[in-house]
Amino acid sequence: MMNRALGILSAVLPLLLAILMSAALFFATGYDVASVISGVIEGAITGFGSFWQTLRWSMPLLLIALGFLFCLRAGEFNIGGQGQMMMGGLGTVAVALLLPGPVALVLPLAILSGIALGAAWSFLPGLLKVKLGADEVIVTLMLNFVAVLFVSWVTTGPLKDPAVRGETASTPTVDSALRLSGGDGMSVTLLVLIAVAVVFAWLLAERSAFGLKLRYVGEAPEAARWQGMQAGQLKLWAYVLAGSFAGLAGAFEVLGPNGRLVTGATPTIGFTAIVVTIVGLSRVSGIVFAALLFGGLQAAILFLPIVSDLPSSGLKILEGLIALLVTAEFIRRRRGTG
Amino acid sequence: MEFLDQFTVTTLRGATPIVIAAVAGLFSIRAGIFHLGIEGLILAGAFTAVAAGTASGSALVGLVSAIVVSMLLSVLYWVLIDRLKADTVIAGLGLTALCVGGTAFAMQVLFDQRGQMASSVRLFRPVTGPQEGALAFVSELTIITWMTPFLILAAWIVLRRSRLGLQIAAVGDYPYGAEAIGVNRSRVRLYALLITGVGCGIAGTQLAIGDVAGFSENMTNGRGFFALAAMLFGGFSAVYTALAGLFFGFADAFGIFMQINDTSGLPIQFVLMVPFVLTIFIVSLSGYFKKRRDSA
Repeated sequence: MMNRALGILSAVLPLLLAILMSAALFFATGYDVASVISGVIEGAITGFGSFWQTLRWSMPLLLIALGFLFCLRAGEFNIGGQGQMMMGGLGTVAVALLLPGPVALVLPLAILSGIALGAAWSFLPGLLKVKLGADEVIVTLMLNFVAVLFVSWVTTGPLKDPAVRGETASTPTVDSALRLSGGDGMSVTLLVLIAVAVVFAWLLAERSAFGLKLRYVGEAPEAARWQGMQAGQLKLWAYVLAGSFAGLAGAFEVLGPNGRLVTGATPTIGFTAIVVTIVGLSRVSGIVFAALLFGGLQAAILFLPIVSDLPSSGLKILEGLIALLVTAEFIRRRRGTG
Repeated sequence: MEFLDQFTVTTLRGATPIVIAAVAGLFSIRAGIFHLGIEGLILAGAFTAVAAGTASGSALVGLVSAIVVSMLLSVLYWVLIDRLKADTVIAGLGLTALCVGGTAFAMQVLFDQRGQMASSVRLFRPVTGPQEGALAFVSELTIITWMTPFLILAAWIVLRRSRLGLQIAAVGDYPYGAEAIGVNRSRVRLYALLITGVGCGIAGTQLAIGDVAGFSENMTNGRGFFALAAMLFGGFSAVYTALAGLFFGFADAFGIFMQINDTSGLPIQFVLMVPFVLTIFIVSLSGYFKKRRDSA
């Protein structure tokens, strides 16, 4: 009980500290802090359609964070969620645009293809780590860049939308029958699908023998080895799961709010998702809360310019401060610093 | 000849900030700190160079201020990862995010500019070359680009031949052994981070008032991560890291020229991928040999 309370405190304290520091900064630079706060609340919760927007931005954060959790449990620091999401989006948009057929066939195949490509993009660094000992932080970081470039090629080359001009490159919009939500970003269908994914992640991570083994391998690798556990195989599954969840996030972005694959859309969401996992104390239930919190912040960042003169970069400072402080002091370190 | 001329300038321009940040970053990575805040430090340096340079009317003031700000942020990062035991990777990404938001915010609050702002000063270009011909490009190069070979040499000497360099390597490779023989691990890591900070400040200055004379939001655009790739690619050696950074500049220039006169049909994205794919290849290879050595 004491431990639990300390854990929650250690997650809440950096958040409060970051909020206080940002508020002090806004006050010192002459902005009306009260109107900023009311603006954030309006943009994330109370305004017309605001909560819908919060859910829309929570969706990719939640899914990538859940995937990241599996790797973290297995002691693997897979920061490739961004690239895995983009490759997932690519897998989905390719099937949705190129495969003719009835919706009942194309839609599931499009989602599966997104999951598969995301999983493959995560399996590769997993394999390099498990078989060759290649540092996963470096490899997944590099693969993020490769994915960005690859998607950039696809959206300016083979799947280019000829109607789009200017700097943003994108594929054509997928057929509206395949869309899971409209442009406002959320729908009951998507919510149900996400709920299924969350329950699946919860059962697997917190209530299954597999989840227990993952933790064992991650937290007591020597003991796990002595017990004859197949650590490498378990870790590979963790990578596949991480990529699958991130790929699903990409699939939902394409079939949901975006409707197409856009170069440069949501460039930092993969990193924010890592922070979501840490703020959520590396538990499925906590991650759901944390994803809503950061989804709300993202919705507020987009909404705030309408009601306040505070630049939206002010809220990005808040986000950066949270990431900077979140692992400090109280939380047990997940990865050695040297 | 004109083509070669411009190509050389573009390569050296693009490479300079990456090479300097990468060589300076070696100090951190050798001390065992996988420093993902480098991207943010370069960005903060770039903004400070423009802000202080424009306010004072002196590029030198801009350069010094950029170095100071980047060092202060490095101290903040050190406090977090060393004193408060924060996760190196997450705090580093947080530092970068803070700098992305912070520079955009400061630009708007201090100068009332959104997105980008021009600089009234530019870096000194010490050499005046012939107007045309193969050597015309030398008059385009800034003082920082000219200084880069000396900075690389200095980094090599400090890393390989100085007490501090040995202590940094000891702290990175054998943290507990280093403590046991009386090396103050915290202090060595602070020095390593500060040196990285100095380099990132210089790199940011070159980026902002060296070639474009202005600051724009997120103008580093991944260069800090390229620097990181250059270090890994260069096997943590100062000279090879600098060469890897030069290769990034070359790929960059190649990309720009391909966009202008594309004749081969090879998509530029695949050219730009090469350094990342090679880095993955090298990390895997070195991991494989390390594993074999450890198990033998």
